[in-house]
Amino acid sequence: MAATQLARSNRDWRQRDVRVLVAALIVAVATVATIALYASHLERTLVTSASAFLAGDRQLERENGQPVPQAWRDEAERQGLATARMVEFSTMVFGGGNFQLVSVKAVSDSYPLRGQVEFQADTDAPRQMLSHGPGPGDVWLNPRLLRLLGLEIGGTVEVGNRDLKVTGLLIREPDAGFSMSALAPRIMMHADDVPATGVIQPGSRVEYVNLFAGADDALERFHAWLEPKLGPSDEWKSIQDGQALSDSLTKARRFLLLGGSLAVLLASVAVAVASRQYAMGQRDTVALLKTLGVPGRRISRLYRVRLLVWGMTGTLLGILLALPVFWGLASLTAGMLDRKMDYSVDVLSLWPALVTALVALFAFAYPPIQRLRRVPAMRVLRSQPGEAGRGVWMDVVIAVIAVFGLLWLYAGELWMVLALLGGLAALLGILALAGWLLVLGLRRVVGSGNAWRLALVGLYRHRRASLSQIAVFAMTLMLAATLILVRSSLLDDWQAQLPADAPNHFLINIGPEAVDEVRDFLGKHDLSTDELYPMVRGRLTEINGKPVREAVSKDREVRALNRELNLTWMQDLPSDNQIVKGNWFQPGQTEGLSIESELAQRLGVTLGDRLTFTIGSQTITEPVTSIRTVQWDSMKPNFYMVFPPGGALDGLPATWITSFYLGSSRKGILNDFTRRFPTISVLEIDHIIDRIREIVQQVTQAIEAILAMILAAAIVVMAAVVSATLQDRQREGALLRTLGGRQRLLVNSTMLEFALLGLFAGILGVLAGEVAVWALQYRMFEGAFHWHWRVVLLLPLVSAAVLAVFGRWQLNPVLRVSPMLLLRRLE
Amino acid sequence: MATGSDILKVTDLTHEVALGSGTLRILHNVNLSIGAGESVAIVGRSGSGKTTLLGLLAGLDTPTHGRIELDGQPISQMSEDERASLRARRVGFVFQSFQLLPALTALENVMLPLELAGQTDASDQATELLRRVGLGERLQHTPRQLSGGEQQRVAIARAFAAHPKILFADEPTGNLDNNTGQAVSDLLMALNREQGTTLVMVTHDEHLAARCGRQLHIEAGEVSENGVVPAQGVAV
Repeated sequence: MAATQLARSNRDWRQRDVRVLVAALIVAVATVATIALYASHLERTLVTSASAFLAGDRQLERENGQPVPQAWRDEAERQGLATARMVEFSTMVFGGGNFQLVSVKAVSDSYPLRGQVEFQADTDAPRQMLSHGPGPGDVWLNPRLLRLLGLEIGGTVEVGNRDLKVTGLLIREPDAGFSMSALAPRIMMHADDVPATGVIQPGSRVEYVNLFAGADDALERFHAWLEPKLGPSDEWKSIQDGQALSDSLTKARRFLLLGGSLAVLLASVAVAVASRQYAMGQRDTVALLKTLGVPGRRISRLYRVRLLVWGMTGTLLGILLALPVFWGLASLTAGMLDRKMDYSVDVLSLWPALVTALVALFAFAYPPIQRLRRVPAMRVLRSQPGEAGRGVWMDVVIAVIAVFGLLWLYAGELWMVLALLGGLAALLGILALAGWLLVLGLRRVVGSGNAWRLALVGLYRHRRASLSQIAVFAMTLMLAATLILVRSSLLDDWQAQLPADAPNHFLINIGPEAVDEVRDFLGKHDLSTDELYPMVRGRLTEINGKPVREAVSKDREVRALNRELNLTWMQDLPSDNQIVKGNWFQPGQTEGLSIESELAQRLGVTLGDRLTFTIGSQTITEPVTSIRTVQWDSMKPNFYMVFPPGGALDGLPATWITSFYLGSSRKGILNDFTRRFPTISVLEIDHIIDRIREIVQQVTQAIEAILAMILAAAIVVMAAVVSATLQDRQREGALLRTLGGRQRLLVNSTMLEFALLGLFAGILGVLAGEVAVWALQYRMFEGAFHWHWRVVLLLPLVSAAVLAVFGRWQLNPVLRVSPMLLLRRLE
Repeated sequence: MATGSDILKVTDLTHEVALGSGTLRILHNVNLSIGAGESVAIVGRSGSGKTTLLGLLAGLDTPTHGRIELDGQPISQMSEDERASLRARRVGFVFQSFQLLPALTALENVMLPLELAGQTDASDQATELLRRVGLGERLQHTPRQLSGGEQQRVAIARAFAAHPKILFADEPTGNLDNNTGQAVSDLLMALNREQGTTLVMVTHDEHLAARCGRQLHIEAGEVSENGVVPAQGVAV
């Protein structure tokens, strides 16, 4: 029977619209799948690479002087996790006839679980990367400590009651972090030697750390098991908690999500356009089938089956296409990371692609095809007025609900979905208004052999097609603009966060008498330094006269309460801090304090609340007079609590801190510095900054790659839309030539018409993109919004140019072949 | 029946198309001339080369060999743009499959040649012509909403819109039933007389051919007046 004949897919395949529909689906699935695969791969890579900062995937830190129970480690190992132990404490050591205060890190055999230890066998030996710490009985010293003690490699260091042999130099530990407690020069020894030293006594200040590494789900399971057992002095740390890096990673992850979401949107547009085109083209066939007596129900079923066949074909081919593209991208990042290429595919991360395919098929492709059953059989003889536009609004409503459901499911970020929805709503609003103006304004234009007029007449005559093309182009351009704009502000942000001269050395423990000398020293060596900040260590004990433990509800975990805070005073607000409530200190003001906004929020503290601190044996109480934000990722000294000069901290014992930038070629200055100021600690964080920069660079490249993919997908969508009207355009061109239109006129008017379409769509798209970026920026990327004039001006021009070229390309066959041949071909 | 005021003059016209394996000769050594104001029917079997001849005469394509003069201009030697410009000023077309643009209304379809000619009152002229062909009430309808006969009437209105000197019609009633075909051919003939246009028409319809002043028969690429193949090189 005719209907079954019709369902044969090989016959379908000859139809252009079916090919476009399946191609759109392939592009949709391939783009979403590639981005999803790549995002998951990148996340794994970045987290592994970033995990080196913790020397493991997770850290459990204990500050109460009690070792981590063996049972906890056993449980972790039962969950399939690798574990390692670390003990950190400060003590005096004796060696080479000298005493020196050192910061000891004692590690077990499996340390480090992630990352490597940089080691030197002797002062002039080459540096090596090792995956282990010193063995029992050995100790590795910081090179400066070796000089301070006047020791040689092979010498002996006494740590408490235990003699350890110096077997090498510790250049860099992966988890150096930069905590203020690491003031003294570092030595690294084996954890099993610690009991024999006898240094750790009840009440000693010691930090026990456990490292864990393994699969994400195992880590999650273990954490769930562990959580109820953790006390107030236990802290579970993941890389996400490290401030500077985690901000970058969070933003990068969000960007990938945004990219993926935009891919979903673009793909949906492509599928919707193609299937609508297909449905339009099928109306005659359906009318014919009805004339032949096929019932509407059967017709519906017929098209559902075909849709399913194409859906499976498109999905399968899309995924097959995604794999090599993903491997290509992954090998790019592997090259950057100096790692072995990981070809493994995270099958689970393919689900967004599959769901996208399903939704694209049933929310975008199905409605217009389902409506085919309503095509009247009468159409075989004559189409009825108004038949074409029926039910389109319903399609749009279904599509919008579906796509935002999909986005929400996929990104899980309500704000992202709302921002894109807002941008699209703005777009549709402007579009409706602009369409009305277009119809109103162009109605009066009369064509008269002039390319401009013909182009405008063309826009008006094809107003239905023009408006829907503008809508699709504008949407595509909006998505592209959003991504371009977010990308540039993200990169600018990172660039600003880590400028080439970001401070990479800290000086800590500067006594009051040395402040001026240090300033002179730095000035003499031309080291641009930030301010020198005084620092007083104190503990927050009361809020409004109530003990802090009672004042802050138990379920809020406020780490700042577990330890001493660094308090400071200053006259001028640091340039990267911002007052969000209250006022900064007036000159001469000695009362009050300024608190960091996130801590204030966690403590439930607001303006006027009185905070009491215990500093040594003294207590001070001051009201909160301002709340400010702090750039934790600025690599400068940052403080939770700031007092005015001459205020409550006046006269309390303080040390000073500062940071500065020192290029690697001038490291020698540090030796002069330590010789001159032996009591001042130098904290070198240049390698941390290098690592962060490296990671940011990798993420940047990933972002560029994804942007390029999205733009490619956008161009495919636009090409699909333009080619949907290809045949009509060519017929028109052929007829115009038959009727005596000159080639130049035809070319000029067509290119102008498309350029106007592109310009118009570009302006709308970029404006809607700005709306979306404004919303995204506001909630998700936490940057300040500003107009992007270059993109705003450039994008409409680029889109006009691209579409003009598309238009010219469409005209090609019309210009090359004689009008007679063309008319026959199109008949 | 060539006269001193020939509007169309064909000399030694041969047309071949390249096929994969060789060339196919569609027209062979055609010589003819058509006087201004004449109405000529080209008749012949399917595939005999009628439509190809019509297209060449109208300058829609260029012949492999030979010379065609339209209104004194050697169109076989002209560039595509020059021919287009000549078509815009002198030539009208009616096609078997109407060739109306589906996205445009009846009015806009008729306005098309007027606009190409740069006329500013295209809308008024087109409205007047559509009234003349009896479609004054259907100006805003698109081709899909019109019957075949109505569509062909729009096409005829379009063909006469630019006041052509010569009108080429390719099976103008070929897609229409007898009654409608009759009405359309009446209209075509009437407008032709009114405007003093030369009419060259390809048709299968014997009645329609009989209404023309002259009939050219074409068979296997060769043209003869009333079925007689002339001696080579002699104008018929």
